[in-house]
Formats: sequence, C-alpha cells, structure tokens
Amino acid sequence: MATIAQPQPQTIARPAVTTRSTGLWSWLTTVDHKRIGILYGVTAFLYLLIGGLEAMVMRVQLAAPENDLISQNRYNEFFTMHGTTMIFLAIMPLSSAFFNYVVPLQIGARDVAFPRLNAFSYWVFVAGGLILSLSWLANAAPNQGWYGYAPLTERLSGAAGTYGIERNVDFWALGLQVLGVSSVAASLNFVITILNMRAPGVTLMRMPIFCWSTLITSILIVLAFPAITVALILLSMDRFAGTHFYIPSIWDGTNLILTGGDPLLWQHLFWVFGHPEVYILILPAFGIVSEIIPVFSRKPLFGYAVMVYAIAAIAFLGFGVWVHHMFVTGLGPTPNAVFSASTMLIAIPTGVKIFNWVGTMWGGQIKFTTPMLFAVGLVSQFTIGGISGVMHASPPIDTHHNDTYFVIAHFHYVLFGGSIFALLAGIYYWFPKITGKLMDERLGKIHFWVTFVGFNVTFFPMHFLGLEGMPRRYASYAAGSGWGFWNLIVSSGSFVLGASFLIFLYNVAKSLQHGKPAGNDPWDAATLEWSIPSPPPVYNFREIPIVRHRDPLWEEKYGHAGGEGHQAEESLDISIAGKTISVGEVPDEDPTEQAERRLDAGDTHDIHMPNASFYPLVAGLGLFLSMMGLIFSYPRLPIGALDLPMLTLAGLVTFLVGIYGWSFEPAS
Amino acid sequence: MAQAVQAGQASGAGHDAGHGHADHPPTSLGLDHRKLLMWAFLASDCVFFASLIATFMLYRNRSQQLGEGPFPSELLDIPFTSVSAGVLLLSSFTMVLAVGSLGRNNIRATRIWLAATSFLGVVFLSGQYFEFTEFYHEGLSLQTNMFGASFFTLTGLHGTHVAIGVLWLLTLLFVSLRGGLSEKDAINVEIAGLYWHFVDIVWIIIFTLVYLIPYQDAPSGEGEQETEAFVRLWHLLPFV
Repeated sequence: MATIAQPQPQTIARPAVTTRSTGLWSWLTTVDHKRIGILYGVTAFLYLLIGGLEAMVMRVQLAAPENDLISQNRYNEFFTMHGTTMIFLAIMPLSSAFFNYVVPLQIGARDVAFPRLNAFSYWVFVAGGLILSLSWLANAAPNQGWYGYAPLTERLSGAAGTYGIERNVDFWALGLQVLGVSSVAASLNFVITILNMRAPGVTLMRMPIFCWSTLITSILIVLAFPAITVALILLSMDRFAGTHFYIPSIWDGTNLILTGGDPLLWQHLFWVFGHPEVYILILPAFGIVSEIIPVFSRKPLFGYAVMVYAIAAIAFLGFGVWVHHMFVTGLGPTPNAVFSASTMLIAIPTGVKIFNWVGTMWGGQIKFTTPMLFAVGLVSQFTIGGISGVMHASPPIDTHHNDTYFVIAHFHYVLFGGSIFALLAGIYYWFPKITGKLMDERLGKIHFWVTFVGFNVTFFPMHFLGLEGMPRRYASYAAGSGWGFWNLIVSSGSFVLGASFLIFLYNVAKSLQHGKPAGNDPWDAATLEWSIPSPPPVYNFREIPIVRHRDPLWEEKYGHAGGEGHQAEESLDISIAGKTISVGEVPDEDPTEQAERRLDAGDTHDIHMPNASFYPLVAGLGLFLSMMGLIFSYPRLPIGALDLPMLTLAGLVTFLVGIYGWSFEPAS
Repeated sequence: MAQAVQAGQASGAGHDAGHGHADHPPTSLGLDHRKLLMWAFLASDCVFFASLIATFMLYRNRSQQLGEGPFPSELLDIPFTSVSAGVLLLSSFTMVLAVGSLGRNNIRATRIWLAATSFLGVVFLSGQYFEFTEFYHEGLSLQTNMFGASFFTLTGLHGTHVAIGVLWLLTLLFVSLRGGLSEKDAINVEIAGLYWHFVDIVWIIIFTLVYLIPYQDAPSGEGEQETEAFVRLWHLLPFV
C-alpha cells in the first residue's frame, strides 16, 4: 500500500530511556500523556471519594430533623468543600484524565504538543488540591460556600465583632487560583495539540467527537478562567492588602463608613466564569457518550456535523447567560428578561444532542454493555436535569426555587446524572485500553443499577423538598417542618450511592488482578486508539496513521459498512500542512527497514520522544510554597517597603528555578 | 493501518532552542506550536485584562461620588504618563527591529534591539514606580478609596506583565550573548515579541480609560446625594 516517506529523524542523541523505566522517579518526572492521564485519573478519583464522603456526612446530619451530629460551622465547611472538591478536584481533572489519555491516541499523535507543560498542569493541580485539603488539617476549611459570595469571604469587623479573620477563605481563594493556573495551562496545551498535531487526513470534521468536545471545553477554560482569576485576585487584595472591592461599608468602631465597594461585582465576575464552568463540566461528558453510543449501537454517530455545531453553540451561548444565577439580586426586569431568553436558547443545541443520541441508537443493534448502560443513563438522567434547568431560566420560577433543594436536585441531575455517569462510562469503556484487561461485566452491570437506583433515590426527592421550601445550606431543620420523611429517604439513598462506589472499586481491583486480556479492540470500535495494543506502547503509534474516514477503524474493518451518509465527506486526498497530496502521488516506499527491525526488537530509539523532566514538578512545588507562605504569612522578611512572607519568596525562587531549568534543558 | 506516514510527530515542533533536530514534521495548521500557544494565551490574557478594566470602570468615579479624596483629577499627571506611554510604544518598534534582525541572521543587531527594548521597558517601569510613590505621598494608597484600589490593581498588574516581558527579553539577550540564538531560533524572539506588543496594546487602552477620559468632578460638599446601586445595596448588607 501507499506510504508517505517523511524524512524521519534517525539519529537521536538522547535516547528516551527514562520514559520507559518504572519506579517512583519515572512517575514524578514523566511527560508521557498516558501516564499523566493515569495520574490525573487516580488523583481525581480519590478526590471524588473524599467529596462523596463529605456529602454522606451532611446526609447523616440531615437524616433527622434537629440533628446535631456536626456543628453549623462544620456543616458549612462540609458543603463548601463538597462543592469545591467535586467541581475542581474531581470532575474537571477526571475529564482531564480522559483528555490526556485519549485525545492524542484519537488524533494519531505520539504525545501532546507540550509534554512538559502537561506534566506542569498535573503537578499544579496536585498543589492546588493539597492547599485546599490542608485546610482540614489547619481546622480552617473554607466555609463560605463554593460560590464564595462577598461579604462572606471578607475580613470584616462590625458592631457584632470581627468576622472572617481565620484562614478558611485564604485556603479557598489561593487554592482555586492555583487550580486555575493548572486548568488554563492544560487547556492551552489541548487546544494546540488538537489544532496542530492531527495525523494526516484527520481533518477537523473527521475528528472523533470526543476531540471536539475536548477542544471546545479547552477553549471555554482558556476564556472563562481569567474572570475568576481576576475575581480571586481582587478578593485576595481585600483580604491581604486592605482594599474594599467587595465591601460597601466598614465599621470603625463608632461609625459606618461607606467605601464604595460592590459585592455584586464578585457575583458578576464569578458567574462570568461560573456559567461556562458548567459547560466545562458537562461537555467532556457529552463527548464521552458520543463515542460510546455509536460503538454499542453499531452505527456511526447520527448527525455528526450538527453535534459539533451544537457543542460550539452551547459553549458560545454559555458566555451570555451568567445573570440567570443572579435573578434574585435585583438587577431589574430588562437584564432578567434578556438573560432568561439567552438561557432558554441553550436548550436548543442541548436538545439537539439528546435527539442525536437517540437517533444514533434508533435502528441500531444495541449492546447493553456497562459503558453503554452508563451512557444511556446520562441521556435519560441528564435530560431530567436539563428540563429543570429550563424551568430556572424563567425568573419568576427561579425566584421561587432559588436557594432551595430544587436547585440542588437540578444540578445533581446534571453533574451526577450527566458528568459522573459519563465519566464512569468512560472508565468502563477505556479501562481495557489503559490496562490491557477487561472489566468484569457482571459486576459492572450490578454497579450501574445500584448507582442508578441510589442516584434517583438520593436526588429525586430533593425536588419535592425544594418545592416545599426547604432551603439549601442549612445545617438543620425543625421537626414540625414536615421535611423529615423525604430527608430520610434522601439520606438512605446516599448510602446506596456510597455502596455503589465500593462495588466499582472492587470491580477495578478484581479486573486489574484477574481481568481477561483485552486485545487491541475489545469493543469492535471505530476510532484510532483501538488500532494499537492495550496498553499502548510509549510511542503510541509505530507509524503515524493516515486517516481517510471519520470512523477509520470501521472503514478499515468493514469497508464503507459504517459509513452511510459519510461518503460525501470522504476524500482520497490527504492534506499535510495545507498541501494536498493525492494518494496516487504518494511515493510507494517502505519505511526504513532497519528501523522496523529495531522496533520489532523493542528498541524505540528511532521514534522521537520527549525526555522526562522533573522541572515541571519543581515549578509546581514553587507555586505551592508561595501560596502556603501567603496563607501562613509568618515568618516574614521585610525588604524596603515590602514585607513578604519568607516562604512565598522561597516559593517564587523555586518556581523560577523550575521555569528556567525547563526552558534550558533539551526537550527531546 | 496499512498506510502510514513515517514521521516523528511525537513532540512536533515544540522544542527549545539549541538541541539539534532541524527536521521537524509539519504541523496540521502549518503554524509552529509555540506561536499558536502564545496566541491562545493572549486570548486568555484579553479576558484577564477585560475583567480588570471592567472593575476599574465600575469604580472609576466612585471616590468622587462619595467625596473620598484624593481624587484622580488631582493626582494624574497626563504629560508625564504620556511620555512613559510613548516610551512603551517606542519599545514595540525596537521589538520589531529585534525580530527582523534575527530573521536576517544579524545577531549583533538582534542583541542591540533586544537590549534597547528591555531598556525602554525598564524606563516605563521606573516611570510607574515614580508615579506610584508620588501618588502614595499625596495620600493615595490601596486602602484610601476605590480609585486607589482599582488604579493600583489595574496598572500594577499591567506593570507586572511588563516586568515579566523585560525578564524574558533579558533572558533572550543573555542566551544570545552565550551564542545560543541564531536564525533558526527566530521563533523564540518572535513569540516574546507577540507578548510584548500585546502588553503595549493593553497599555493604550488602559492609558485612554484611566488617564485621558475626564473624571467626574470632585464634589464641593458632601457627595452622597445620588442613590447609586451600591448605596441601595448597603441597606441589604446584613453586617452592621
């Protein structure tokens, strides 16, 4: 067959030995996107379990009226950390784990565009996670809610005494700031990787839909996170430098002094970030199920192009709806009406996606494997959350639901019934690729049904509680409120959910030990990652593939069998760097045979791979130290007018050592 | 995949200077990874400055409304800052010359223009340092009023961007003096240039919004007649 003979780097001065070795050091210095993906996945799953346990403590507290298992302040800490952990330390990095592991494989690349930046993102994520988690050890966990509304986040003194002088909010503000650095760095990397490292023939409209959702999610992160970065900078200025960005007045002991600060500024900046964040959490999930449903329906994705446009439309509209989180702040009828309309618009592309998944399954030969069950679980459960979301788009209804359990029910249907279902589906789907072992299907199905039942028992009654007026974030409720019954049901449901994760962990452990070998392509799937061994070799592809079809493996296995409606977009021409090469013109040449033989002997020195590096870890450590310095602020080192914590200075030096070391070491 | 391209696409063109593989495979868009990364980063930085500028605009006239001096109209020295703005704009010109001379492999000129650009950057930063200390002596600090808080935060974070740029340019200069910069590394200087120009453009916007557009007059007497949104909000504040 035709092969393009590209000039291949034959003599590599520094063989990529370190990327293949094992042991702790190799993991600390790895730049392999697959290993970083695994690191992300394991760390994030740990946080998912922690966040789940936090939720269960809250559910025990609320199981009976007027319960006093934990104090009100402790309860505030639990709901703040539950939200922050689940969003920033569990769902986002779990999505990131799939971006890392799967995207380069799906576009036919050997790594991401900036392997060390990728490692940096991971270590900075660990740093941010540690800063947030260490707050428990300091007995000062954030307690203001994950949305961090001013003035709950401020250091204030009022007639009733001082408030907010503890470090709780410092951990939160600086931890999130660090996590933002990680997310933006990772997303920039994925934008460049997807735009620039596609194998020949992988045009944008031939990319697997998961790559599209990664691309759009990454663009969202790149454009949404700076808003919260600024919001947190201003908050940190308020807390550390005595400004009053979010404080309208201060109390000097005798008088109330107007400062002119505006707490609504925080809400605007936060939700300008916060609403795109919702799509940052759900679009990767949409991408995962859009991969899984076609494979187990034995049909190509229905309406691929429209699915791409729908993702883009959701992301675009997502920037213009933030005020629907602020309907009750009194901005007035005009903003409320405008943002109500823009919010309802989002239901259109989202509905398109739901119908396209149904259209994909329609008339297919559906195989209800575990990943498929979870994927279909998303389609059904997310739809419930989506519908209650449209209800909130209406300001009068939102005013009624605002700050009640109805909202909790809504976003758990979206984030658990949506994101977590899809992430579990993704784990079941790609586990064989990552580990080379099949997961136990029987346990998987039990896991799904326990999760499904537990999920609905936990979250559906919250709709009733919300409509009955039970407020969010209250540590207790009166016995005469009549909310006891449903709360007990909800709390017992949460234990079923907790149990479902034990089944899952048992399945993972068992499958890692005794799972059947997966082979390259256990699901008879369509995308490139299934064309290589499981687990993939360090270099992923021995030869960079040429792709002529949206479902390249189905095309290879079945000719055009999977391709109804695809022929039009198919082309025999391949574009490399903007130059079109017709297949007829491609020189028919074997790759250097010597290199082939060396590869067969397990010698990968002919493949140009990036070197391992410990500088990303050093830079991440630097950020961690600087933030810890700010939080604990002693001992200090006065330099002229500046009076800086020594730990922060040490952290900045460490960070610079990391960055410069990284810049001056050879990349490969 | 019977059909295949032999290409070491592993790390694409994402390499640092000075390590010897000239034969990078083409990228999908035909653009260097690093250049694309810088553009994407600048898009992100746009939102960063947009948020900061929006904050500044919200608080621009608030000290005057509340009658809490010192007021911007008493502090801002437009002729002085125009000079330092001119210096920063001039540095964009020398930056272009630095990129151009490296493109022609004129290393000596590259060094001169890199040095000139960093020098102009340092002059701008010194002007900002002078301005900040002047304002401080006239009684404006971060804590004084909303103008102080938002002015120092916005221009200070812009100054931080300039300082990072200067550090970057000096690093490139240092590398070139060690003989590590040649025509094939032009991309390294070019992306530093992209960043530098961006920081300059942001300054044009900040200069216009902070300095050139007139402020509301400082109140002669008390400044609390207007029922602005924030005054109404004060009634909602549970904290007193």
